[in-house]
Amino acid sequence: MITHHPKHELLSAFVEGELPASLSAAIAVHAEMCEICAKNIQHLTEESAANFFSPDVKTYNSYSDKPASNTAATDELSYEFMIDSITEDESIAELVVQEPLEIEIKGSTYQLPTALRSMSMMGWQKMGKLSRARLNLNEGALHSSLLHIDKDGGVPSHTHKGFELTLLLEGSFEDEMGTYVKGDFIWLTDKNTHTPHTTEGCLCYTVADDALQFIQGLSKLLNPIGAFIY
Amino acid sequence: MNTPWNYNSAPAEIILRNSTMDPDEQQQLKGWLYDIATDRDKAAFTALFSWFAPKIIRFGIQKLNTESAANELLQETMSNIWRKAHLFDGDKGQATTWVYSIMRNLSFDMLRKVRSNREDTLSDDIWPIAEAELIEDNVFDDHLMSTHILKHINTLPEAQKEIVNGLYFQDLSQEQLATKLAIPLGTVKSRLRLALVKLKQQIGESK
Repeated sequence: MITHHPKHELLSAFVEGELPASLSAAIAVHAEMCEICAKNIQHLTEESAANFFSPDVKTYNSYSDKPASNTAATDELSYEFMIDSITEDESIAELVVQEPLEIEIKGSTYQLPTALRSMSMMGWQKMGKLSRARLNLNEGALHSSLLHIDKDGGVPSHTHKGFELTLLLEGSFEDEMGTYVKGDFIWLTDKNTHTPHTTEGCLCYTVADDALQFIQGLSKLLNPIGAFIY
Repeated sequence: MNTPWNYNSAPAEIILRNSTMDPDEQQQLKGWLYDIATDRDKAAFTALFSWFAPKIIRFGIQKLNTESAANELLQETMSNIWRKAHLFDGDKGQATTWVYSIMRNLSFDMLRKVRSNREDTLSDDIWPIAEAELIEDNVFDDHLMSTHILKHINTLPEAQKEIVNGLYFQDLSQEQLATKLAIPLGTVKSRLRLALVKLKQQIGESK
């Protein structure tokens, strides 16, 4: 069962279109797997829409009414022009039904969630049991990737300079704080240190705004490649 | 932990406030959308346009900062409404929610173009318009209903009639019909949707 969900503030920002694509996609994927959050998103969207369109700015009331307050006459003219040009188009939008997209890594095939389908993906880079494919979203410091950890693999103990979001797409992993399953939305910050490990193997979607910081003994040597994973 | 986006275990608890929209007004907006879907009604579109335009402009200026971007958002949103009105399902939600989603998606893609210099349109994958998938496969199970509906089906445009006949009277699947008529599956779905909106309206009127 999914036990880790995005926070309310994150859902609100998502609904209003204020989050970057990487985080928006993470929430959309989580909601595909989590009925509770999907329902909350539905409610929040209805609420935002009703609040936003509440009648506190000038409106026409029916086909023939004049605007309640006409602040700019030119508005009306350019609106007329816009209406004419839009309604000249006689076509209607056809729905495009897309085939699910599959990816293959280390002999396993996975279906990509809808929200990630159109993102351009770089090739897989492999290091032992870890494989990572960067998603090319061009969002500055925010890095988004698909991360695959093979059976019995893990990431050495580390913390994060900024935040690290891990969304489990398939499989499961565990760390000092518990076990995570498909759909879990795991948000960690520099206050959290963990050592993820997977028995059955897993595929994650990750978003982080800085490199990993390895903290224990020899694995500190890994710090120069901390940016590899996230 | 002062970041608003920090880690959380429990699902968010959403407390709904009362809607600030008048139900009659919502009904009016739905009516206009149906008129656009079924009759390509320009007067209804003009009314809908006038109702939403100032608010969409306000949204555009808030999110995209410039007046010209806000105008582009208005043009794109209204043009989507004109071309997608048949995909709106008034039984599943309010017109304001539907328009808001279209506007939010377009503004998201426009903002992304500015900030990340990307021309991709990710919004439709992040917030998919799923109406077509919601069309139930057995809308007309009832035999009496089928007979009653038959006379209305004959009033549909040819392209929609052959979809409805194929699906409900020849028991073809949407996929089979697409192959048979050599049209994309999406076209089958949107013609069906349009036909169902029209039928629903006619049957409602004749009751």
